[in-house]
Amino acid sequence: MKRLRIERWGSQLHPQSTFSSRPRCICPSLQSRVLQPHNRRAQSTAPQIPAEATEFSDVLTQTSPEEPKMIPLETLPSPHPHVALRSAKLSALRSRLSLPPRLPLQSLARTLVHESADSDPNFNNTSLSILGSNILGYYTTEHLIANYPRLPTSVLFAAQYAYVGPKALTTIAHEWGIESAAEPGGEVDPGLLQFKRLRAGEWATPSQPSFRNKWNQSLTGKIVHGDEFGSYKSDLSERSRNRELPGVPLEDAASTFVRALVGATYLHCGPQTTKRFYANHFLSRHLDMSTLFDFRTPTRDLSRLCAREGFEAPIARLISETGRKSRHPVFVVGVFSGKDKLGEGAGSSLNEARVRAAAAALKSWYLYRPVEVTVPSSVEGVDPNSPEGAKWIPNHIDCGEVIV
Amino acid sequence: MPLAALKTVAKARNGVGAFILQCKRLDFHYCDWAGSSRGMKAFLKSTLPRFAKENPQIEITVSPRPNKHPIIKGHYINGREKVVCVRNMTNELIKEKADLLKSASGEKLKRVNKPVESLNESVRGIWSPFHGGKYKI
Repeated sequence: MKRLRIERWGSQLHPQSTFSSRPRCICPSLQSRVLQPHNRRAQSTAPQIPAEATEFSDVLTQTSPEEPKMIPLETLPSPHPHVALRSAKLSALRSRLSLPPRLPLQSLARTLVHESADSDPNFNNTSLSILGSNILGYYTTEHLIANYPRLPTSVLFAAQYAYVGPKALTTIAHEWGIESAAEPGGEVDPGLLQFKRLRAGEWATPSQPSFRNKWNQSLTGKIVHGDEFGSYKSDLSERSRNRELPGVPLEDAASTFVRALVGATYLHCGPQTTKRFYANHFLSRHLDMSTLFDFRTPTRDLSRLCAREGFEAPIARLISETGRKSRHPVFVVGVFSGKDKLGEGAGSSLNEARVRAAAAALKSWYLYRPVEVTVPSSVEGVDPNSPEGAKWIPNHIDCGEVIV
Repeated sequence: MPLAALKTVAKARNGVGAFILQCKRLDFHYCDWAGSSRGMKAFLKSTLPRFAKENPQIEITVSPRPNKHPIIKGHYINGREKVVCVRNMTNELIKEKADLLKSASGEKLKRVNKPVESLNESVRGIWSPFHGGKYKI
């Protein structure tokens, strides 16, 4: 497969010369130096300087310091890209996240500008955040589905939400030490998160009644119409996206920044670095999968599961007990299928212990993990015949959760 | 619906995967006139450039604070601040104080009784009176 050239991906992030109403980034020479591709061939048949670079140099001569057009920074909606190189906050942020210097500070500054601060799509982070959202969703989903092939759909959605949901991304942005500007503007330090704040009470006004009815909220409907976390867009975020509100909540701005940073890393540094960044910052977080389940009728589910898989029907047996006549009895009940113990639970009544045992048996079925797993992104763009490339081994695919 | 899911957020484990230094900013304040800032001024001239180069993840600001003792103020990711007064200290002592602020977590100082703190379940499990050999009285 022919690889795309990374410097092309990155160079499209910088404002083009067609938008002459706004000042452009006037440091193209530095950018072209920073954006040196890491996969350029030594004996290249193509000319060394791509077409964009010559365009940039034209721009540079037009906006040369002989005739500087002084624009007061306060008139700009977001900080000038040129200021990003002098921002101590930005370079500290880049080193704190161990991002490679190939990610230029101008792009890092752009990921911090939310749409509500600067509506110009060449200067805000909307496009980057769409890319980053897809990358985060892809890496998380493939990790979950490959490692937990039997996970029910609703739990899969909840796990996805726990890793890269808006609340998780807001927490991550906070843990990275992101501070937000009180008010966006051209004179603000570009190392601050820039967005138009929603003041208290501004979102509390009732909106149009939703067209989505209760009966339309099935799991299948959520898979088709919902987002990657199996939920419909919240009323608040939809209204702020439609510009019905004067600002956005902090959660929206912070999660958009994290997604945009992943997108910018992907464009400037390539998939390998992004994958490492993702594994270090997102996948390394602690999530206990067994706490995500909320069974309603575990005994019925378990007997359906045993019938489907051809096991003997589950039977609950008392393993041990104490204080049956006392105020605090304890019963330990095991669920058996033939001679195999499927699960065990303790409770203060026989029924409670039986339900807990059935839930434990179902969890041990659903949380099955194959020993060796190959996620699709680990073999992407790698020659399968090369010794260092991972070989694609098909993963286990389960027939799904029990339907009762 | 047979099975619902509970929404949570995955917890951070700093140092598993990425490590984020908790000190995000160090402010150095000095006075041009007072003698208690003599060591601080020497530190700013000789040691601080190397200190800043060694710690690129910390934003460093230097500003005068006239007619006051010199201080170092650390800002941390959890939102707290830690201030050390470095009056009459020598260059080396101030470097030690800056290192102390750099490596602090920003939390209030508290006694740590348990040597290990973990989110994972115990591998050995909790002892149960209902399993294993029965004790006959």
